[in-house]
Amino acid sequence: MTKVSINGEEANIEMTNEEFEKVKNLLNREPNITELGMFDVMWSEHCSYKSSRPKLKLFEDAEANYNYVLAGPGQDAGVIDIGDGYALAFRIESHNHPSAIEPYHGAATGIGGIIRDILCMGVRPIALLDPLRFGHLKDNPHSQWLFKYVVKGIADYGNCTGIPTIGGEVEFDDSFESNCLVNVACIGLGAIEDFKHAPSRAYNPGDYVVLMGGSTGRDGIHGVTFASRTLTEMSEADRPAVQIGDPFTKKMIIEATLEAVKTGFIRGLKDLGGGGLTCATSELTGDGNTGADIDLRKIFTREPGMNSYEIMLSESQERMAFIVKPGGLETVLDIFKKFEMSFAVIGRTNDSKVLKIFDDNNLVVNIPSKALSKSPTFKRQEKRPSYLDRLIAQKTPKPSLGLKHIIYKLIASENICSKEWIYRQYDHEVGVRSVVKCGDGDSGVLRIIGTDKFISASVGVNSKHCFLDPYEGAKGGLVEVCGNVIANGAKPMAMVNCCNFGNPEIPESFWYFSKSVEGMNDFCRNLRIPIVGGNVSFYNEDEVKKTAIKATPIIMMVGLIEGEENIITLPFKKVGNDILLIGETKAELGGSEYHSVIYNLEGGTPPKVDESKIKATWDFLFELYKRKFIKANHDVNKGGIIVSIIEMCFRNNLGAFLDFSGTINQELRDDEFLFSESVGRFIIETDPEDYESILEISKQFSLDIKKVGVLNVNPEINVKGLKSQSFKLNVEKMKNLFDSTIPNLMEI
Amino acid sequence: MSIKIAVIQFPGANCDLDTVHVLNNVINVEADLVWHNHFKETHYDSVILPGGFAFGDYLRAGIIAAHSPAIDQAKIMLKDGRPVIGICNGFQILTEAQFLPGALLQNDCLKFVCKWVNLKVENNTTALTNQMKIDDVLAIPIAHGEGRYYTDNMKELEDNNQIVFRYSTEQGELTQEANPNGSLANIAGICNLEQNCIGLMPHPERASETILSPKSTDHGKLFFNSMIEFIKRRIS
Repeated sequence: MTKVSINGEEANIEMTNEEFEKVKNLLNREPNITELGMFDVMWSEHCSYKSSRPKLKLFEDAEANYNYVLAGPGQDAGVIDIGDGYALAFRIESHNHPSAIEPYHGAATGIGGIIRDILCMGVRPIALLDPLRFGHLKDNPHSQWLFKYVVKGIADYGNCTGIPTIGGEVEFDDSFESNCLVNVACIGLGAIEDFKHAPSRAYNPGDYVVLMGGSTGRDGIHGVTFASRTLTEMSEADRPAVQIGDPFTKKMIIEATLEAVKTGFIRGLKDLGGGGLTCATSELTGDGNTGADIDLRKIFTREPGMNSYEIMLSESQERMAFIVKPGGLETVLDIFKKFEMSFAVIGRTNDSKVLKIFDDNNLVVNIPSKALSKSPTFKRQEKRPSYLDRLIAQKTPKPSLGLKHIIYKLIASENICSKEWIYRQYDHEVGVRSVVKCGDGDSGVLRIIGTDKFISASVGVNSKHCFLDPYEGAKGGLVEVCGNVIANGAKPMAMVNCCNFGNPEIPESFWYFSKSVEGMNDFCRNLRIPIVGGNVSFYNEDEVKKTAIKATPIIMMVGLIEGEENIITLPFKKVGNDILLIGETKAELGGSEYHSVIYNLEGGTPPKVDESKIKATWDFLFELYKRKFIKANHDVNKGGIIVSIIEMCFRNNLGAFLDFSGTINQELRDDEFLFSESVGRFIIETDPEDYESILEISKQFSLDIKKVGVLNVNPEINVKGLKSQSFKLNVEKMKNLFDSTIPNLMEI
Repeated sequence: MSIKIAVIQFPGANCDLDTVHVLNNVINVEADLVWHNHFKETHYDSVILPGGFAFGDYLRAGIIAAHSPAIDQAKIMLKDGRPVIGICNGFQILTEAQFLPGALLQNDCLKFVCKWVNLKVENNTTALTNQMKIDDVLAIPIAHGEGRYYTDNMKELEDNNQIVFRYSTEQGELTQEANPNGSLANIAGICNLEQNCIGLMPHPERASETILSPKSTDHGKLFFNSMIEFIKRRIS
């Protein structure tokens, strides 16, 4: 940060000299301090994507290439047409830096922000999902503090607004110890008409600009610039840059906004998030090709004496900007009055294409509407880290423990154990839509009331895999989240991503970002999945320790199920049924839980994605669904096939006779076979009568499927057919370990 | 004569639409969503205060809503015997408005809890339970942070048969493990002396459709059907 002084007024800015020169060129003069602050905010990494934009151009134009995509990247949220007149909006965002400093309010306002993004598409927010990353909890009070209050912040905010939190994902790893990741995703549902009513543009001159919701205070000033640099010990002093959420006001904003949109008098809608009023007014007019005159003193402030710089840069929460047709102003304001919301008519649009802000009668800001979005971009250097070859070459040690004890350890490990401690705190049922609930499936499934349609949503990526190979890791993340929705019977429809990386000015950090984007792009083009939005969070580094977080390109997938009878769930159901493994197991233990839990190893050979195999597996599963052959389905993920099978036994307290003699490849060791995290595999439950037909169908798809066991009434898993001795696992004991890990760490 | 039910929309209520959905589309009875300031008792046979966070639960859960004009209207209904039902936050409002005795304190685990529980029916003569049997065990979800029922007058409640529901095991045992929030004597719902005002923490509107239930049950319908039956008997 540098301190600048213009005409006796001082401010701290992040801008480089080059950028300052560009501002002068755009204005043909020197900016005043308020204008400079506005450019500084809008040209921050957080708002302008100046490092990532050149790379993100790789993604195909989803709106142009997929007929059901109604809004793609660049909008506040991606929107798809799911038929029957309904639009589904969704987006994912990060709130990492605020949460690392002040976990409760940081996480809560993250939820607040993502809800606004969905709301400003004119649809009702109906679900939240939260991928999280923390340091290990064991013996680490700081990680426990972050974890406890992030979860509480999400719960208190989400529960109060009446939006169910239907899913999420969490990993614990040392690299996130000081820079935790809090990503928040929201899904909205509405009539396609309502979505069309409310574009995020002010395209019509003469409309009113109305600000509604919370008052504008001094909180959150420079929130985005704070998010655009690394965390340091100085960050404690940045605590005032974290906003304070008010979920009750947010609930009122949701209801008032949706009622206002229904009138048809709203011509544009924008939330006030990062960059506050600066971002909202400049994007509304800039994207709408209009201008506006705004009167600053109409804005209701939390305290007297706020100057124009503070009002324009404030990131106070719970505010929305409406562009209202002149004939409808009274109707819209009456709705705001009914909900007892504060509001102010702060200005009108015009055709000047200039944004003018007045403080009393003084013109304090006079900027061409589009100038603020003309940030320069940076071509960042990228370099593959030199440590990777050494890491990938790491060999799996010879097991010092018996396989049975290794399995008990894995089941109880932080990254595999039950996450019930988290989701019990989230109201995941409000809205009466939640059909497959937290813990019952690989994804959350919601019904669309009034139709026979269901949506499925999942979030995730494996940070340890991405650390070793970001290109394959990002693809693997897509395989995983697609696998999650497919396991519940849904067809993957579209994805959004949230890229969490280190400092883009460091070539090794930028390489991770660059390779992840390439991986996502290649996979989505090959498998025809539209990318309808994204968010980038850089500077996730710990400057004191000089370490970056493990690369984490979180992916959110939304899928569609037609017909209640086509919903599939995770638990094994019937004694005597077959357990089948679909997909090939390779010696891919790099970045596995087995390596990290048992040997404290980060390296090894990470999984690789074979897109044609993946495609064939998905097509095969949908064929089996069509024939009603699948009784239960779970994708194979952390801990490998044995962990997936165990998880499927829990709900109905079943056991299994497993015989791997026909399955295990001669070149594989027992531990490689059981714990490999090769992607794209599924465990399914089927009726033995259908086995021959299933084998026949698998040949059409050139797939290798194996029967690995039979379900047993005794809650015991008997494992044989490995190269080493047979062993038995006690399902109740494992369930106990699985359930008690996080409570034991957190409830002291 | 057609039956009409009001579901009050307090600012911050969030189970209001869910409750209207179940009444209209599952129970097939006419229900209106009524903004709290606009509520007039004369139009309705029954009123439901739905779950949520009325007025953000600021100050104390339910206390601000208890002073809404809607509560004055509900009092008229209470006095002439029409059903006044409080679900979750609605129960908190009813105790704050002193329609029902006792209070709802923070859960003993100090956290919000969302899960399916078992509910044992203790009184089947009320406006919300006349279609149930004593000792029936119902599957229903809870979702609250402040649901630990407490009263100084336990004896009075018991003597007057005001305990309507208790948390139990699937087999109907009243154990500590079956009690999700530390409520006194596993109490989940109570009624007034006249049995037309009932408050309960669990959510019958979330348990009225088999598709939403982990056990494919629809026990929630029993609550609303009881209410309809009570109204029919009252007006006939």
